Amino acid sequence: MSLFLRDYLTVVWFGLAAVLLAGLLLGVSAAIRPSRPSYDKQIAYESGVDPVGMGWSQSQIRYYVFALLFVIFDVEAVFIFPWAANIERYGVFGLVVMLAFIVLLLDGLVYAWKRGLLRWV
Amino acid sequence: MELLVFVIASGMVLVGAVGVVAMRNPVHSALGLVLTLFGVAVHFVAMEAHFLAAVQVIVYAGAIVVLFLFVIMLLGVDTAEDLSIEPVPIQRPLAVIIGVGTVVLVGTAVIRTRDTIARGPELEASGDSNIRLLARNLFSDQVLAFELTSVLFIVAVAGTVLMTRKQKRVAPDRDRVGS
Amino acid sequence: MIAAIVAQLGEWTAPVIDWHALAPELILVVGINLVLFIDLNIGEARKWAMATLTGFVLLAAFVPVVTLAVIGDASREMFDGRYVVDHYALILKAIFLLVAYVVVLMSQNELEEGGYYQGEFYVLMLCSVLGMVMMASSRDLVSIFVALELLSIPAYMMAAWRKRDVRSNEAGVKYYLLGVFASAVLLYGMSFLYGTTGSTKLVEIGEVLASGDLIAMQVVAIAFVIAGLAFKVSAVPFHSWAPDTYEGAPTPVTAFFSVASKAAGFVALMSLIFLAFPTATGVYQPLIWVLAVLTMTVGNVMALRQTNIVRMLAYSSVSQGGFILMPLAVAGTGDASQSAVRAVIVYLLIYAFMNLGAFAVVIAVSRKTRSGEITSFGGLFGYAPGMAAVMTIFMASLAGIPPLGGWIAKFNVFKTVIDAGSGAAYALAVIAAVNTVIAAAYYMRVLRQVWMMPAPDGDITPLATPAPVTAALGITAIGTLVLGVLPGLVLRFGDLQDLTGALGR
Repeated sequence: MSLFLRDYLTVVWFGLAAVLLAGLLLGVSAAIRPSRPSYDKQIAYESGVDPVGMGWSQSQIRYYVFALLFVIFDVEAVFIFPWAANIERYGVFGLVVMLAFIVLLLDGLVYAWKRGLLRWV
Repeated sequence: MELLVFVIASGMVLVGAVGVVAMRNPVHSALGLVLTLFGVAVHFVAMEAHFLAAVQVIVYAGAIVVLFLFVIMLLGVDTAEDLSIEPVPIQRPLAVIIGVGTVVLVGTAVIRTRDTIARGPELEASGDSNIRLLARNLFSDQVLAFELTSVLFIVAVAGTVLMTRKQKRVAPDRDRVGS
Repeated sequence: MIAAIVAQLGEWTAPVIDWHALAPELILVVGINLVLFIDLNIGEARKWAMATLTGFVLLAAFVPVVTLAVIGDASREMFDGRYVVDHYALILKAIFLLVAYVVVLMSQNELEEGGYYQGEFYVLMLCSVLGMVMMASSRDLVSIFVALELLSIPAYMMAAWRKRDVRSNEAGVKYYLLGVFASAVLLYGMSFLYGTTGSTKLVEIGEVLASGDLIAMQVVAIAFVIAGLAFKVSAVPFHSWAPDTYEGAPTPVTAFFSVASKAAGFVALMSLIFLAFPTATGVYQPLIWVLAVLTMTVGNVMALRQTNIVRMLAYSSVSQGGFILMPLAVAGTGDASQSAVRAVIVYLLIYAFMNLGAFAVVIAVSRKTRSGEITSFGGLFGYAPGMAAVMTIFMASLAGIPPLGGWIAKFNVFKTVIDAGSGAAYALAVIAAVNTVIAAAYYMRVLRQVWMMPAPDGDITPLATPAPVTAALGITAIGTLVLGVLPGLVLRFGDLQDLTGALGR
C-alpha cells in the first residue's frame, strides 16, 4: 500500500465512522419511536403557513449579486493561502504585493457598496 | 490501489459530465457538475496536489456551482426551453461528429505519447510543499499576472453593477446602426 | 524539473521590477481606479468629464511608451524573461493605446446621448486596454492567458451595453459563450504544452520543441492553441460570432472589437509562433494557411451580400484578418521569417487607422440618417463633401489602392509571402490576389452610393458631426494618408530580431 493511500486511510475510516454513527442513531430511533402518520403531520411546516406555488420558482437577481461577491472573495482567499503559509519568506515584498492585491479588490467592494449593490432593497 | 482510486474518480468525472449534458432539469445538471468537479479534486489528491484539491472543492464545487444554481433559479427552471426543436437541423449531428472527433484526436495523441514523456520525480511527501511551490511562483515569476488578476475582480464587480442596476432613462435607439 | 524547483525553494529573492518598463501598465491600473472613484462622486450632469479623464489616462500611459522607445536600445526583461519590453512590444502598446484613444473620442457622444453608464464603460474599456498592453509584453503562457481574459471579459460586457436592446444582448451573449469556449480550448492546448515541455515560458517551450521530433500531444497542443486564438481573431471557421456581435454592439464598441481585440489576438499568435513554435513549422504553417485562405475568401463572399454597412464592415474585417494571417502561414519558410513580423505589425497599424476611420464615418452619418443600410449613404457627397472624401480614403485604403496606407500593408504581406518562395506560398499569394479584387467590389459599392446616388428621401440637411468624432476622423484619415505616402515611418519597426532577441541569450 502506497504512502498516499496510508495518509488517506484516516479519512476513509473517519467517513465510515460518520456513516455508521448516523445510521445507528437513525436506526435506533426508528426502532423505538411510535409511528402514527397522518396527513397533517406529512405536510411541510405542520403548524405554519401553507406553501404557495412550486419550489422551482424564479428568484431575484439580488441573490446573484451576493453569490458573485462571494465567489470573488473566495478566489481572493485562495491567493492569500500560499502567501500566508510561508509569510516570513516573502517579507516586505510579499506584504506589498499582497496589500496591492487586496486594495485593488477592496476598491471593487467599495465601488459596489457606494453603488448600493449591497443594500437589500 | 492507486488504480482503484483512479478508476473511481474517473468514473465520477465521466458520470457527472454525461449527467451535466443529459439531465433535463438544469438543477440536476449543476449537481452533475459538482460530481465532476469533486472527481477532479480526488484526482488532484491522487497526484499529491493537495492545495489544488482543496481549491477545487472550495472554489469550484462550492462557490462556482452555487453561483450557477443562483443563475438557474434566476432564470426560472420552470420556463425551460423545448429542446426538441432544432433551428438548424444539421448542427446536432455536426456537434456529435466534432465531439467524437476531438475525443479520438486527443485519445490517439495520448496513446501515442504514452511512453515519450518521462515521469517527473516525486514531490516531497511533506504535504505543504506544493503550496510553497505555488507561492514561490506567484511571488517571483508570475507576480505581474497575479497582481493584474485583481483588476479582473474589479471588472467583475463593475459588470455586476452594470447588469443589476436599473437604467435611469431609456435612451432613444441611436447608438446602434440597425435596420 | 520539479525537484529542481524544490531545490531552489531556499533561495527565493524578490524579483527585480523595472518601474519604467512597467509604467504604462501601472498608469492604466491607477487610471482605472481614478475613473472608478471619480465616477462615484460626480453628478449625472458632469459625466462628460469621464471621457476626458479616460483620454488623459490613455495619453499618460502613452508617455512612458514614448520615453522607453526613445531611451531604450536594448530590450528590458523582467521576471526571468517572462515579461519583455522591446521595440516589438512598444509599437504594439502604442497601437493599442492609440486605438483606445480614438474609440474614446468616437464613443463620447454616443454614451452621453444614450444616458448609459459612462463611468463603467470607461472603466471596462481601460481594463480591456490594460489586458492588451500586457499582452504585447507577455512571453509566458500564464501572462498571455491572464492578458487574454483581461481584454476579453470587459469586451463581453461592452458588447451587451444597451441592456434594453435585444440585439445588443444577443451580441453580448454570443460573444461571451464563444469567447469562453475559445478560452477553454486555448487553455486545454496550453495545459498540454506545459505538460509535455515542463515550462510555461515561451522561449523554454521553444527550446524543448526544437530539441527533438514533436510528439503527438505537442502537435495536438499547438493545434488547440491556434484554434483557440483563431476564435479571438475571428478566423473562419471560428468567425460565426463576429457578424452578429459586431452588428448588435454599440458601433464604437464594434470598432474597438474589430481593431483592438483582433490585434491582441494576433499579438498572442505571433508571440507563440515565433517564440514557442518556431521549429514546428510543419504543424502551424498548414493550419494557418488553411485558416488564412478560408478567412479571406468566406469573409469576402459574405461581405459582398450584405446590405447593412456594419455587417459589411464586420465581414470585411473578417476578410482583412485573413490577409493578416498570410505572413504567419509562411513564417517559417525561406526569407519570409525575417519579414513576417514586420508585415503583420505594419498591417495591424494601418488596418487600425483605416477601419476605425470607416466606423467613425458610419457613426457620423448614422447620427443623421438613423439607418445602417448601405443605401443610406446615398448623396453623401452632395451634403457633406468632406465626409465623402474621408470615406473614400478609408474605403480605397481598405481595398488596397495606392498610394494609401492599405496598399502598403497589402504590399508588405504579399512581399513576405513571395519571399517564402514555396509552392504553398505562391498558391496563397494567388488566392489573396483574387480576394483583393473581390474585396474591391464591395468597397466600391459603398463609394458608388456616396458619390453617385441621390440622398434617400431627398434629405440633404448637412451633418452635425460632434467635435470628438471629427477629431477621430482627422487622426485616422491623416494616419491612413501619411502611412501610405511615407511607409518608411513604420517599416523599420518590428524586426524579427526584436522579438526573438531573447532566444539567443
